[in-house]
Amino acid sequence: MNENLQAMQLPRESENQRAPFSIPRLADGAPARLVTLFGRLGPDGQKHVRYVFDVGTPEYFEIEIPADGPIASIVPQTPAAAWFERELHDQFGIEIQGHPDLRPLVFHDNWPDNVHPLVDDVKDVPWAHRDYSFLEVQGEGITEVAVGPVHAGIIEPGHFRFSVVGDSVLYLELRHFYTHKGTERLFQGRPADAGAMLAESVSGDNCFAHAVAYCQAVEKACGAVAPARAAALRLIGLELERLICHISDFGGLCTDVGFIVGAALATRVKEDLLQASTRCCGRRYWRAAATPGGLRLDWDSTAIASLAQAVEASVREFRELAHIVLETPSIQNRFEGAGILQKTVAHDLAIVGVVARASGMDLDVRRDHPYGHYRLLETPVPVLNYGDVMARARIRVEEVNASARLIRETAGALPAGPVLVPVQYGANFSGASAVESPRGELFYLVEGSEGLLTRCHIKSPSFQNWPAMPFAVAENMIADFPLINKSFNLSYSGCDR
Amino acid sequence: MILNVIQRSLRQSSHLIPVEALLENCKGSRMPDVQPERLTADIASCVVAACPTGALATEDFNGRKCLRLSYGHCIGCGGCVEVGNGALVPATSFRWTGVSKEQLVRRWDLDRRVEMTDETPQPEAVRTEVQRLLGRALNIRQLDAGSCNGCEAEITALTNPYYDLERFGIHFVASPKHADMLLVTGPVTRNMTEAVRATYEAVPAPKLVVAVGACGCSGGLFAGSHAVAGAVDAVIPVDRYIPGCPPTPSMILSGILEVLGRRGLK
Repeated sequence: MNENLQAMQLPRESENQRAPFSIPRLADGAPARLVTLFGRLGPDGQKHVRYVFDVGTPEYFEIEIPADGPIASIVPQTPAAAWFERELHDQFGIEIQGHPDLRPLVFHDNWPDNVHPLVDDVKDVPWAHRDYSFLEVQGEGITEVAVGPVHAGIIEPGHFRFSVVGDSVLYLELRHFYTHKGTERLFQGRPADAGAMLAESVSGDNCFAHAVAYCQAVEKACGAVAPARAAALRLIGLELERLICHISDFGGLCTDVGFIVGAALATRVKEDLLQASTRCCGRRYWRAAATPGGLRLDWDSTAIASLAQAVEASVREFRELAHIVLETPSIQNRFEGAGILQKTVAHDLAIVGVVARASGMDLDVRRDHPYGHYRLLETPVPVLNYGDVMARARIRVEEVNASARLIRETAGALPAGPVLVPVQYGANFSGASAVESPRGELFYLVEGSEGLLTRCHIKSPSFQNWPAMPFAVAENMIADFPLINKSFNLSYSGCDR
Repeated sequence: MILNVIQRSLRQSSHLIPVEALLENCKGSRMPDVQPERLTADIASCVVAACPTGALATEDFNGRKCLRLSYGHCIGCGGCVEVGNGALVPATSFRWTGVSKEQLVRRWDLDRRVEMTDETPQPEAVRTEVQRLLGRALNIRQLDAGSCNGCEAEITALTNPYYDLERFGIHFVASPKHADMLLVTGPVTRNMTEAVRATYEAVPAPKLVVAVGACGCSGGLFAGSHAVAGAVDAVIPVDRYIPGCPPTPSMILSGILEVLGRRGLK
């Protein structure tokens, strides 16, 4: 069985495999965290690959290499790059040498091998039939359980291939990208002014985080700064979205262990918040609000004050609920020790967000790379080391409290003034920005000329975190998978784009 | 501990929203409506230019110049309201949910400044057999064909204590084989096309298919993408449409009741 399990081991640095550049290091010598890597075309149409690292400074660190020919994989040094390089291979047709697994990631059996949408013409792409082979675990008593893409519930589509012995999961292979909509390509040629609506449709329940990340990237590219009032209102929207998402996840955890009272209460508190948002801001989720340069609309201080009041009341109820749930022995029994993600794996795969903070990684974009109104406030970052379902539940409860406080402080001292400044688009513009979405670090790069976009790259936290799921699920019983999956709460659409 | 839970449950009052308050309610949906008396040809061309999905268009209809609004294409971006000079406003009530594709379209005469009434007869036959067989119960299988999860979030809300879909005898089921209705969201991506067809085939006849959201109705912003096969009706037959981006729980619930011919029901 150990031999079979070796298939799951992360590739390790070997001497005959050299990265195309030396991986940047932190002050203490540890390798820097990979934020994203993506392809782009230079002015002459040449392919380039840009790598973005977090080197512990507020600014991200970027390296770019030409990629007209094959490039060397950085996976042996930085396992977190595995999916990124597969996507690069699919989208740009860049040959990557030394990658342990270059099977198609984004495109399935219906897509022809020789069409790479971010460099090729994609008009009338023919439907193809090609094969895909799952990694097969062999041995006595091993059974495969295939789940999805259509799941038993109101869930996004994705495929899970479990190899189990009895109840116990030996290996899980993910096959995602069922909701791949070619979003990055759709940005190309759109007016930069009209890009936020597409960003909002990358992951619907995190729509405002996507919109703000996109807008900040455009603002950075054009040297614009959103006015103070817009920045403060954006913070309120972002924290409200986080609250709604975390409370919903907590309810989902209750559902998955059959604690129906907790689940019903959480859905009710979530709905209270959505209705408060409708009353005060005219929208349940904050779509059609953010735009490059600030916000498309302003709300008077009474509306924002009453929103903040509603948040206070809801969070008070949620706190009470969370206390009851987390102190119930049968819940503790299910949450504790389930789906442990080891800190070493979390580091190797450069995991972000709640999942990272529950596995001992101390990171949060709001504190480490502050943006907008977060520059003026202190963001507490809860960190736990157990890495199990319970740790992820507790981090969410802590963050709900912190979000409520951030909303209260911001709403209590809302700056006056306009919410929108005009953005002057230069002949060529390029900028990047990151936001701490409810699921973690969300990174946007935008490039364009004359007001039109030529490239938009989206690194969603779900894309980063999905590869960690098989490691958290291994050695658990298969019946716990829904619970572990919910505790990660990753977006399929955000990952697939 | 369990006593605390019971005590807490007993303290809760009912949050149920009465059905009268849900029908035609579109608060928070950002759907537009037209004030025909303020509509001019100039405003019409402005709002058409501002619309990112082609939901608004000017056309000749029955020999009259008119503004056409297709709710199935509208993503509620509010662009038309910003430039519409009061002729386009956020809708205060909304009844174009759970309707046929033709019924999603409204037209306003640009000279007479009135809404043009639709004289095409409304198709009825699809629903009768299902209604006859089911009485008041309905099993729904939700199918995500590639959505951004915005519609899923709102469909999930139907089971919370405010909307409580179960009070109408309507349940979400896990298998398409147990379903009477498929509630399909999202543009159908290339990668989901086969699964969408297979799911449709697995639902026993007679079956209803309802497309939900701008993407499900028309492809929305994703129409024409190389990775998208099209709107839901490009892949499987669709009976009724629930527009919105995303539609609010009230709109989805009203739409389902409309499909079942139960809107008048208390």
